[in-house]
Amino acid sequence: MSEQPRSYEIAVERLEQIIDRLDSGQAGLRETLDLCREGRELVTYCSAELDAVGKDLEELRLDELAARLEAPGDS
Amino acid sequence: MDSLGRVELPGPFAVGRYAKTLRDELRRRARVQLIGEITGLRHTRKQTYFELRDAEGAVPCTIWAGELAALGLPEGTLRDGAEFVAAGGPDYFIGSATSSPAFSFRVTHLRLAGEGDLLARLEALRKQLRSEGLFELQRQLARPRLPKAIGVVTAESGAARRDLLAGLRRRGWAGSIVWGFAPVQDRRAAPAIAAAIQELAAMPAVEAIVVTRGGGSLADLWAFCDETLCRTVAMLRVPVISAVGHERDATLLDDVAAVACSTPTHAAEAVVPLDCHAARGELVRSAAALRRAGEGAVSGRSRHLVGLARGPARALRRERIALNQKTREIRASSERGLAQRRAFQRRLALVVLDRAARRAAGPEAAARREALRRAEVAFRAHEPERTLERGYALAEDAAGEPVTGAAAALAAGHLRLRFADGAVGAAIEPEGGGQ
Repeated sequence: MSEQPRSYEIAVERLEQIIDRLDSGQAGLRETLDLCREGRELVTYCSAELDAVGKDLEELRLDELAARLEAPGDS
Repeated sequence: MDSLGRVELPGPFAVGRYAKTLRDELRRRARVQLIGEITGLRHTRKQTYFELRDAEGAVPCTIWAGELAALGLPEGTLRDGAEFVAAGGPDYFIGSATSSPAFSFRVTHLRLAGEGDLLARLEALRKQLRSEGLFELQRQLARPRLPKAIGVVTAESGAARRDLLAGLRRRGWAGSIVWGFAPVQDRRAAPAIAAAIQELAAMPAVEAIVVTRGGGSLADLWAFCDETLCRTVAMLRVPVISAVGHERDATLLDDVAAVACSTPTHAAEAVVPLDCHAARGELVRSAAALRRAGEGAVSGRSRHLVGLARGPARALRRERIALNQKTREIRASSERGLAQRRAFQRRLALVVLDRAARRAAGPEAAARREALRRAEVAFRAHEPERTLERGYALAEDAAGEPVTGAAAALAAGHLRLRFADGAVGAAIEPEGGGQ
């Protein structure tokens, strides 16, 4: 995979640019294939990002985290 | 200062007299009203002591027990954490040989701060913080559209917590929430909320923080107007979403936060701006669009290439058809021309014959016939047949062409000799070849 996007919003913005460019029909064959490859990588990245917040809600308590950190010998 | 450590100032005066002068000067100061939070409240038989405090400082206060009783404040009203307005002026207890001196603000009237007092104080604070540019800092922070972990400061038991969770679920978001539970109303609220926010902001995974509680009067929400809390939030590098009470911009926290919301549900939408359900659908559509574009680009161009490859053959076929057509046209045209020419020749012959017939029918016809006969006789005298009749033979090759020399006869090898009464074959040999 080429350079990882810095965030979901950057990835989506780039993906929209790619689809606009492809829809315009102005891209040549080489550019089209390159854009499709980049677009597929972005879709994979975005999909993984959505999956990361799409399974089970994890609830943590600040006081418990603090207590865990302060507990001697507890890693 | 001289060599004995003396300075060039009036005095020295006796301290007791100075203390009395100081007390008298303080008592002459204008009587005013102060507003602040009650802390360190304690009662003695004679007096009640407390401090009136806000973020910038505090003043020790005293009120005579009798005067306090005369105010008729409802039971429990005067308590630590409550906002009060105290009227009075500065005083100084000069102490004695055995008791310590003390400064205090001698309170003669005391009342619970009303909405108007709070609003006035809020406006003053708001003006101050705005002038320092603290309202802009949080709003300039980038907010992630899809945070993986968020921090939430709220009361452990409360509708706000439930509403926020429901809002997040509706967006299809199920990341990590770190709850920073804190009191949201009493005098401990503001420092506890500020501490929780700071601890959450210190966690690298936490990308945004929500501070929320349900509705209430301005006095109920007063903790969220705390100057220290608001300054803390303004300086954070993690965006804070405020959803306190049921109205936006009611508290000072709303002013300094990155986003102010009217309900916890709105806060859920602000902290996770992306509707994950919709985003998943959009992503599927994007993937399909990419697939179509990729396949279309190749297949479309393949079709074009195949078309181009077929082009020359098609052009050749087209040319061949055109050529055949031309050939047919030429042939037809030529046949038409030949027929016309033949017809013309026929018409010409008829004209010639017609002229000849007419000439033959004229007065010179007899002479012409005689001339014709003579010409025929002369012509016949030159015919080969006449020569053959005189004993000559005509040598011809296989094609019937006359052979007029010995070399040609030898080359032909075989001749046909035509006599007047018929023809015979003859093998040719060089002269003397038979001996």
